[in-house]
Amino acid sequence: MLLRKMWRDLSKNKAQFISIFLMSFLGMFVFVGIDAESSGAGESADSYYREYHLCDLWVMGAGFSDDDLRLAAKVKGVKNVEKRLSLTGTAEKTDNAYMYVNFMEENDINSLMLYEGEAFDGQKDGFWLEEWFARTNKINIGDTFSIKIDSMKIDGRVRGIVDAPDYVYYVSESDLMYPNYKKCGVAFMAPGMYPDAENIVYNQLLVDIADEFSSEEQLSMIKRKLENRFDRDDIAVTDRDQNLSFATFDAEIRQHKAMGAMFAVVFVAIALLGIVTTMARVTAGQRIQIGTMKALGFSKAAITLHYVSYGFVISAAGCILGAFLGSKVMPAWILSMFEGSYLVPDLSGQVTGLDMAVTVLAIFVSTTVSFLSCRKELKDPPAVTLKPPAPKKVRHSGFEKSRLWLRLDFSTQWNIRDVMRNKLRSLMGILGVMGCAMLLVCGFGCFDSIKGLMDKMYGELMTAKNKIVLSSDADADYAYDLAVRYRGQMIEEKKVEFVSDTAKKSGSATIVDKGNFIHIQDRKLNPVKLTDKGIAMTSKMAGLLGIGVGDRIRWHFVGDDKWQNTRVEQIYRDPSIQGITMRKEVFEEMEYTFKPTAVLTNKSVDPSLSEEDEVSTVLNIEGMKAAFSETMEILNAMVYVMVLAAVFLGVVVLYNLGVLSFVEKTREVATLKVLGFSSPKIRQILQKQNLWLTIIGIIAGLYAGWGMLYVICTTVSDTLDMFPILYFPTYVWSIGGTFLVSVSVNLLFSGKVKNIDMVDALKGVE
Amino acid sequence: MEERVLIEFKDVCKKYAQGDREFFALKDANLSINEGEMVVILGPSGAGKSTLLNLLGGMDSASSGHIFFDGEDLTTYSDNQLTKYRAENVGVVFQFYNLIPTLTAYENVALMKDIKSGTTDPKEALAAVGLADHMHQFPSQLSGGEQQRTSIARAIAKNPRLLLCDEPTGALDTDTGKEVLKLLQEMSRSKKRTVVMVTHNSFFADIADTVIRVKNGGIRSIEHNDHPKDAEEVNW
Repeated sequence: MLLRKMWRDLSKNKAQFISIFLMSFLGMFVFVGIDAESSGAGESADSYYREYHLCDLWVMGAGFSDDDLRLAAKVKGVKNVEKRLSLTGTAEKTDNAYMYVNFMEENDINSLMLYEGEAFDGQKDGFWLEEWFARTNKINIGDTFSIKIDSMKIDGRVRGIVDAPDYVYYVSESDLMYPNYKKCGVAFMAPGMYPDAENIVYNQLLVDIADEFSSEEQLSMIKRKLENRFDRDDIAVTDRDQNLSFATFDAEIRQHKAMGAMFAVVFVAIALLGIVTTMARVTAGQRIQIGTMKALGFSKAAITLHYVSYGFVISAAGCILGAFLGSKVMPAWILSMFEGSYLVPDLSGQVTGLDMAVTVLAIFVSTTVSFLSCRKELKDPPAVTLKPPAPKKVRHSGFEKSRLWLRLDFSTQWNIRDVMRNKLRSLMGILGVMGCAMLLVCGFGCFDSIKGLMDKMYGELMTAKNKIVLSSDADADYAYDLAVRYRGQMIEEKKVEFVSDTAKKSGSATIVDKGNFIHIQDRKLNPVKLTDKGIAMTSKMAGLLGIGVGDRIRWHFVGDDKWQNTRVEQIYRDPSIQGITMRKEVFEEMEYTFKPTAVLTNKSVDPSLSEEDEVSTVLNIEGMKAAFSETMEILNAMVYVMVLAAVFLGVVVLYNLGVLSFVEKTREVATLKVLGFSSPKIRQILQKQNLWLTIIGIIAGLYAGWGMLYVICTTVSDTLDMFPILYFPTYVWSIGGTFLVSVSVNLLFSGKVKNIDMVDALKGVE
Repeated sequence: MEERVLIEFKDVCKKYAQGDREFFALKDANLSINEGEMVVILGPSGAGKSTLLNLLGGMDSASSGHIFFDGEDLTTYSDNQLTKYRAENVGVVFQFYNLIPTLTAYENVALMKDIKSGTTDPKEALAAVGLADHMHQFPSQLSGGEQQRTSIARAIAKNPRLLLCDEPTGALDTDTGKEVLKLLQEMSRSKKRTVVMVTHNSFFADIADTVIRVKNGGIRSIEHNDHPKDAEEVNW
């Protein structure tokens, strides 16, 4: 019978219980969904890496012989070593797409996964192309294809369409953040395809470490040993975390986990508050019934169990259903958007032990919370519980004794007291509004930050309209002529390796000639002049290396065995390229020769220029920007989820709050009515409180949203230094949107004021 | 008929703390009630009637003194023992019926099966109070008298040895009240159940075997009625 009572009580208070159900449902739906997605994607990637032997260490240098190969293979823990020549070029047939070109004989490390055609063979000629690039450019097996590497041109037929574990994510050097696999691809081929095959010089060693040496400590030991073994200054040993493909995918997954956890915390916290307030109201309303049951001889345990099962049933239903559906729907949906960004085969969701543990924990906490909230009514003997509760002791706060209090009008006083006496309910309201505003701010903020990043990269830090990228055929004179012709600025971009006391990192160096197209900004994003005394370092790199202004850093250009020990004169902030910048004069003072790699110009560039051997490609800033914004599908989807969740959260919480406070206030409202207050006047009084709570919630939500945005921006990746940015319209949308939700839900309840029957509402208890 | 003592109060006190002051709701109460008797506890409001009833029903515990039920001292009982005592031996009829609003009349009575084995069939219990036709209605669909009869059906369904009634007619009109009284009297006379009724209505004294008068937290008098009137004969 008690079970029947429970079902009827639940349906009597359905609005509140449904909202608790929805909150637990959503919390688990999003958390388990995203966790299953990220865990599954992580697991898919891991097994892909394992099965296709993603290398553990990369040794990069100017040239490796077979002796070097044997030398590396001798290091304890190294299972296998292969050499590879990795270059970049352009593919003429596909609109001069940027190509990563790899020549290798063996393919047991970073093995290619075959989609179509024949398996890779280091003796055969022809190209093996990355699948997504081939597909988007409609290249098929047997098609002719050609790649231009500096002044060399390689022609052949496509033999295979493949995926490579070290290219699950790649971007051309001009598309910094999001991949565009139409304009950037990867090609693999046998060394025989290299134009000067006899004199091929390999620039990479791929090192596979035995499984039993895969701990972080052993890995860094092997890394050190390899460096010592070669004892050459021109090499750099990097691990997976320094590999763009691995690190980006890894960061993406970590970011999803962080977001999922944040969602879950917000929703579950609100579900818990909902349970506390609702259960407290239900049990308080059923005080006499509880007393009766006690008097009839129900044991305390039986009654407790009865009420606790309300919370249990609702949260269990919500959590389990949410977890179940979440684990089915979310991974499929998010992972479908990975297509075209991350090239990991067989991505699928996976429910982990953590998901189940969190689901069980959420149910347990909800049940405990409902136990705690009804315990109060259960502890007195039945004789006491059968009587109406003693009126709450209300102490006047200091404020209520002040003079200011007396000056407030009745509605303000009434609302202040109502808020003070229903702290939990008010808190729930504030949290709901806050969550709503937070998700909106964060969602729109993501758009803003990306736009801000783009505007900063192509408008503040680099202000030229065109970038003429030079090939290695171009000498300084050629660059100088171009610079004069186009009134451009010459820059040289090189890869650098840094060593500090605490870390070793690779990054890039930009050497700038006189001109007005490259700008830098300090940590606070104020424009500053590049120092002419020495080098300037990006703040993210400085942070990774653990150094500041005035500290010395040891570094060298990759491929050059001359080491520098330089004082860092200046710290600047750059969103996309981490490393150092220096003036040409400083560079030359260190006895290097300035050999420009690009010319920046505002003048329109003659299209025929890119045909010249000395020019690798001409990049147009507007084109880069457009391509960049085209490829933000995952982020867009995340933002939609956030906005949808925000509105949903706002409606559900505020509706619940409305029901709660409306039911609780019915008698008071009826009293006011009897006293002669008009319905509009009463509505006004009730709305005042909602307005306050909404405003407080919005203010808190703005801060929380900023914090959430900050977390998302900073977890994006190690190489990106994104700054959270909020533009004015975001504030308008977020605040306006939250207000709209709050006001429309409240209007729903205000209408009910008119319908309160004074006589009915003021009748005796039960 | 053999007179057998069911309940005995020995120097029972019930104190409440009111601020710094202590206040006796019941002071040095002594009484005994025989099995099968119809007892009316009479007194103005605040006299200690309800306290007496609460103590009898194990719904509250005494501050001092001893309460014996069938020879067992209730004051030594733990909370769990008291709960068991209530479940096994006591049926309560409240002034405001206290039915579970979300359960039908039938379900309210059937609820007793959850706490005690060997309860009367709910249909029988409801038929006994004349509610066979309204069994599946919710309390809000029943009149006050019907609700009170449901509450009596609920109380007797347990076959309790002690039936406690707190102003059972307090919320009812005279005619309906009479029916309820008649029902209660029947319980005592034909079913040999001990019925203890608390009221401030002195007319009810006429139908009782024993009348206990309470005032200011003390027992003023205990009278025995050799020829109690039938419920129909009482007027108020």
